[in-house]
Amino acid sequence: MQSLGFALGFSTLALEALLLWRASQGQLLRRFPFFYSYVVYVLCGSSAIFVVYRVRPNLYPSAYWFYFVVSIVVEFAVLIEISDHLFQPFPALRNLGRAIAIVISFALGLLYILPTILESKRMRRALLDFALRSSLTKALILAVLLLAAHYYSLKLGRNVAGLMLGFSIYLGVNVANFASMERFDNLYAQILWVMSPIAFTICLLVWTVALWEFAPVTRTESLPPAGDGDSEIVALQLGRFNDTLLKFLHK
Amino acid sequence: MNLLIYAGIAIAFLVLVLSLLVRARPETTSERVPENDYAQCVGEARWISLSECIFNPSDARWLREELSFPELARSLTRARKQLAIQWLKTLQASFNSLVRTAAPLQDSGANSIESWRLLWLTVRFQFLLSYALLIVQLFGPYHRLIPSFSWIPFLKEGESPLHRSLLARRSDLN
Repeated sequence: MQSLGFALGFSTLALEALLLWRASQGQLLRRFPFFYSYVVYVLCGSSAIFVVYRVRPNLYPSAYWFYFVVSIVVEFAVLIEISDHLFQPFPALRNLGRAIAIVISFALGLLYILPTILESKRMRRALLDFALRSSLTKALILAVLLLAAHYYSLKLGRNVAGLMLGFSIYLGVNVANFASMERFDNLYAQILWVMSPIAFTICLLVWTVALWEFAPVTRTESLPPAGDGDSEIVALQLGRFNDTLLKFLHK
Repeated sequence: MNLLIYAGIAIAFLVLVLSLLVRARPETTSERVPENDYAQCVGEARWISLSECIFNPSDARWLREELSFPELARSLTRARKQLAIQWLKTLQASFNSLVRTAAPLQDSGANSIESWRLLWLTVRFQFLLSYALLIVQLFGPYHRLIPSFSWIPFLKEGESPLHRSLLARRSDLN
């Protein structure tokens, strides 16, 4: 099992390095800054953890848990990237993704995640509950983003669709995995721990394929590249729609 | 039990994501043409006056009170309800068509106050439209869409008798 762990660890490092190399070749770094910041963080963080494991094994548990908790927070960067790219071309919806992410994170953070941290007696239990509930929050944000894109019939494009698919696999497996950790403690320690690294490796594979090159979405309905007046035109038309509707609401 | 719930959530989430990603294919041109037509219609005076006819209760009142055809009045109200729902859905379709119009991103535009204002207009419209659709589906096209505050005593006193009788006749028709 330990050799499988090493194999998975090295394959994720290789995939992360490949992702970054392709991004620098295809000038994707400036197009997906949050996502590649996350990849850089994971690459540097997991390398550092491996060095600690080899050089100072007694510090490894503390270093691992620190990296684990920071990772849970940093993973929100992937969601920000997805939400930005989904709605960016549409002036009326440009901030919809961020609004969805902020509202759901704030609401679930306050009502669902915070209580479990405050109420847990043991540190390990608190961390695992935090990880489970954070993964559920991210999954919910991703599902709502996809439903919003589906509602407005938006084209996703290969890059964003790949980001969503990879992250969904990772989050879905994480939710089931963190829940099983509580139920099958021994079995988890022996076998089930490998699920998360496998899911992350699959996730990285999907991301590598999807982001191999930049694939812009072709749009049939678009305003001419006039520049400054675009949002004003849309604002005027949105205002007209609101006025038409309000007129009937006040009847 | 908890494990089963979380495993169910994880599977449902993956199925939802996969099905939505498979469905998110490019649309054909024929699917978009009617919505563009609607969008052109929204500003037209004829389109607005049509909606005024749909939401106007005078025809049904005339049938019921002056010609004494209550059945016919009810039938007209039912037909008008369907028309009103159709009109609101058309308004929604043309609004969605406008919202889906892409525009090149300005450097300062990503998080500007203007972008948030546009989002607010979009969300407000969607909320009001959903509310209007709900009210029309539940109570018909002649019901007040803005809730009445007449149950508050001091507001009730301020209303004229004519206004009260008009409201009463309107609610009778629904």
